[in-house]
Amino acid sequence: MSLKYGVLGLLTGEPLHGYEVKNRFEAMLGGTWEVNIGQIYTTLQRLERDGLVRPAGPRGDRGKQTYELLPDGRRALEQWLAEPDSGPQTLHEDIYVKLLLATRIANGDLQPLLARQKRAYLQRLRDLNRLEERARRDGRIDLARLVRGALLHTEADLKWVDELSSGRTTETETPR
Amino acid sequence: MSELVRLTDVTKVYQGGITGALNGVSLSVEKGEFAAIMGPSGSGKSTMLNLVAGLDRPTSGTITVGGTDLARLGETGLARFRRDHVGFVFQFFYLLPNLTALENILIPSQLKGTSATGRARDLMQTLGIADIADRFPARLSGGQQQRVAIARALINGPTLLLADEPTGALDTHSGEHVMDLLGQLNRDGQTILLVTHDAKLATRYAARVVSVVDGEIVDDARLETAERAAAEIIRVRPEEASR
Repeated sequence: MSLKYGVLGLLTGEPLHGYEVKNRFEAMLGGTWEVNIGQIYTTLQRLERDGLVRPAGPRGDRGKQTYELLPDGRRALEQWLAEPDSGPQTLHEDIYVKLLLATRIANGDLQPLLARQKRAYLQRLRDLNRLEERARRDGRIDLARLVRGALLHTEADLKWVDELSSGRTTETETPR
Repeated sequence: MSELVRLTDVTKVYQGGITGALNGVSLSVEKGEFAAIMGPSGSGKSTMLNLVAGLDRPTSGTITVGGTDLARLGETGLARFRRDHVGFVFQFFYLLPNLTALENILIPSQLKGTSATGRARDLMQTLGIADIADRFPARLSGGQQQRVAIARALINGPTLLLADEPTGALDTHSGEHVMDLLGQLNRDGQTILLVTHDAKLATRYAARVVSVVDGEIVDDARLETAERAAAEIIRVRPEEASR
């Protein structure tokens, strides 16, 4: 649940209120992750309950409450940053399930599905290239790195589709 | 836009089972386009480029460039066509080692019998190699050598620039620089046909990707160029994955 750590990370700089956290979080992610203000408030309340942040000073205009990071919050953040992501690989695109179903339904003829998917990946590569350029132009090297990761993932997806199209892994095995 | 290149039902057969054959390929390229030809090695993509350049002749089918049917040209006519209309950039730069960068760039113009030193210096300026004009190829980096090769390809103002894996022998940074230059040339109106196996680079610069497999065109994708919002391209949302 990295929204929690995103909030902790943003509070390392200075105390912030809910809307500031939301705006800075979305700006940091360059528009690739939109959060609603309710999620931010819920997260801040949980962090307060767990002793990781606390309200800083009295409420300001329109009842805005700023929060500051506590030493336990900083420790939790540093621990999280130091851990590698080691869970199972997540494949959350429909294509993986479509592939399995098409193998059963379309008598194993995957070519139309793969051809359409290939075009989608090519378009995505182009869009990601543009996004990376934009990030660099804006001086957002951190965001450009993130986009670069997405580019390389999509390149791998494209290679996978090409490999399936060429028949190297679509031999005549019968799905069970 | 008007058509610059047309291949109609082009077949190329090599004796002895050499790879790279073409089987009934038809393709049209408009003036000002930047098209990438992609495919696995041996798929015939370089053969396509060589045929368009007039470096090789098809077994059957017709190829026209700028309205000229290449089959109607004899060897001399074909050499003149290449010299005047086609610039070719290869993976390995093929610079003459005993000539300086500037002299290498000037070779095609000398073959044409024109003096182009001013244009060569302008090109070197554009390509960021003005300061290495008097150096010999052995003293240039790979990226510099490829930029010299690009200047040589452009010296006669070709209508068509062909590039066969131009970044294949370069490190990532030099490769991107060379591709940036090709992208700039295209924005200035240069028609470019690029052969590459690098989909990242192809889609960054070319709005059209032609896929070749086993000597046939299996896909011809024209990509959208409109700017999209970041959220339409990437969504970072790790918490969903861990639920």
